[in-house]
Amino acid sequence: MGMTITEKIMANNSGREKVVPGELVWVDVHTVMTMDYLGKQCFNKFRSLGKTEVFDKDRVICVSDHLVPPPNQKFATMLNEWRAVVREHDITHFYDLGRQGIAHQIMVEQGHVLPGKISIGTDSHANTYGAVGAVGNAVGVTDAAVAMATGKAWFRVPEAVKFHITGEWQPWVMAKDLSLHIMGMMHWNGHLIYKTLEYCGPAIEALDMAGRMTLCNMTVDLGAKNGIVAPDKVTAAYLKPVAKGDWEPLQSDPDANYEAVYEVDVSKVVPTIAKPHKLDDTVPVAEIEGTPFNKAFVGTCTNGRIEDLAIMAKILEGKRIHRDVNMIVVPASQDVYLQAIKKGYLTTLIEAGAAIDTPSCAACAGIHTGVAGDGDIVLSAGNRNMRGRMGSKEAEIYLTSPAVVAASVLTGKITDPRNL
Amino acid sequence: MITGKCWVASDYVMAYDIIIQQFWTSPIDKEENSKWVMAGVDESFNKENGFKDNGYTFIVAAHNFAGGGKSIEHVIAGLMGAGIQAVFADSFARLQFRNAINYGLPFVTSKDIAKGCETGDELQYDPSTGTIKNLTKGTEFQSLPAAPFIAEVAEAGGLMNFVRNKIAAGEPIG
Repeated sequence: MGMTITEKIMANNSGREKVVPGELVWVDVHTVMTMDYLGKQCFNKFRSLGKTEVFDKDRVICVSDHLVPPPNQKFATMLNEWRAVVREHDITHFYDLGRQGIAHQIMVEQGHVLPGKISIGTDSHANTYGAVGAVGNAVGVTDAAVAMATGKAWFRVPEAVKFHITGEWQPWVMAKDLSLHIMGMMHWNGHLIYKTLEYCGPAIEALDMAGRMTLCNMTVDLGAKNGIVAPDKVTAAYLKPVAKGDWEPLQSDPDANYEAVYEVDVSKVVPTIAKPHKLDDTVPVAEIEGTPFNKAFVGTCTNGRIEDLAIMAKILEGKRIHRDVNMIVVPASQDVYLQAIKKGYLTTLIEAGAAIDTPSCAACAGIHTGVAGDGDIVLSAGNRNMRGRMGSKEAEIYLTSPAVVAASVLTGKITDPRNL
Repeated sequence: MITGKCWVASDYVMAYDIIIQQFWTSPIDKEENSKWVMAGVDESFNKENGFKDNGYTFIVAAHNFAGGGKSIEHVIAGLMGAGIQAVFADSFARLQFRNAINYGLPFVTSKDIAKGCETGDELQYDPSTGTIKNLTKGTEFQSLPAAPFIAEVAEAGGLMNFVRNKIAAGEPIG
């Protein structure tokens, strides 16, 4: 019996020939990410282990993303304490305000995650790292502190589920639609808890890195342990200018064991939307076309990349956003922001009537800028829509792709981009 | 052997509601986090010590306890600070299952236990055998025993102690 890519990565990084699902192993961690609002506690815990120097100053990655720029004094003070502790430990890669981005975007775009290696982060969407063929995993500050001290983390080797995606991507259909389609298919009911989800097939090979990041990002919301796409030509081309370290290609064996295999024909996937309060309450956009909303939000570690801004600029070029809609766009990092300026996307979006916010998690987690108030109906390209996620419990959140958001802000009503 | 009252939760009690948004940026602290733990789960818990003052020892839940995708440890610290000594459920969300192991709080998988308990029932849990007795109803449930590593971490009082002891002794951790 062969091994899946995740099993191979866990075996290779724990010095074993082979691992099997259910086994508990201590693995070598390639990088550990922590960020502003939990980072200080992480370093404090690390020091309480009796250590003063992290296992590798180049491989503990610190990012300011949830609290920057600080909207209030509490956050400003927390950030100052965070900066002090990062400097005290002489961390090489500190992406602070001015060089910041959403941690998961930074980890991938700056080459801190590599195929065949294991990276952990103190934020749930660390699953994003699977896009490059790494095992990316979300942990609490305890695991991060232990890894900062020892370079190791414990894992239970997960059972695998394969999503084999075939067919041609249709116009205006994005990875987010596939992600929401799978969410609707599998539900939040626990089928995928603890599993490793492997995305493969011709339609995945045809997908750019941005799309792969969106897919892997939302595997945590499916309850999975990690999501992964085996490295290929797309991965190699993406990593070439940015990779911080060497890597080798790795793939699942043809006779690897999967608990389940799902086939999805992407040519049948249409623009898809999750209705308020439940991620798996998904329908084709066409079914609820015409539903009014008043706020639009595109950004986050799920959909704040240059490819997302590009598709919106294409739709909004020379047009005006509906007068009753307030739209906020947040590039996922300073790099994305700069590229979007150079390519003219932000000019297009601003001319259309969108507000651009500084790269950060912004309103996604409901604790920073642009939060939802009572009565708001938000059309978001983010990742979660439970009651209160973006602020008020009296707000409603629809989750969908950047293309659907862009098409909809023109009419003020939920609109299928294929009908423009 | 642990004995005490249980609180019975429904499906999908989310980490988001166990610790509500305004407390995510608080320090992780059992006593502090316990004051507002469960504030979003039930209106009666949405006041200072609203959950804690009930004096529950166990939580009995169904599917996907502590889900929704939050990795913050305030969830586990808050439950422990409120006196919770074990949680029994059909299934647990991954991130908090991991945190619970790291804190030495037993998250115990036991099929269908939710159907056999009501809030306020007196339960007795034997960690060594995995047996859960409902003393009020005179019923008994079997749970999956914890893996040796998990028991070892719990014995040390959590992963921090486990690793601290190894480092101090100059032993490899794995």
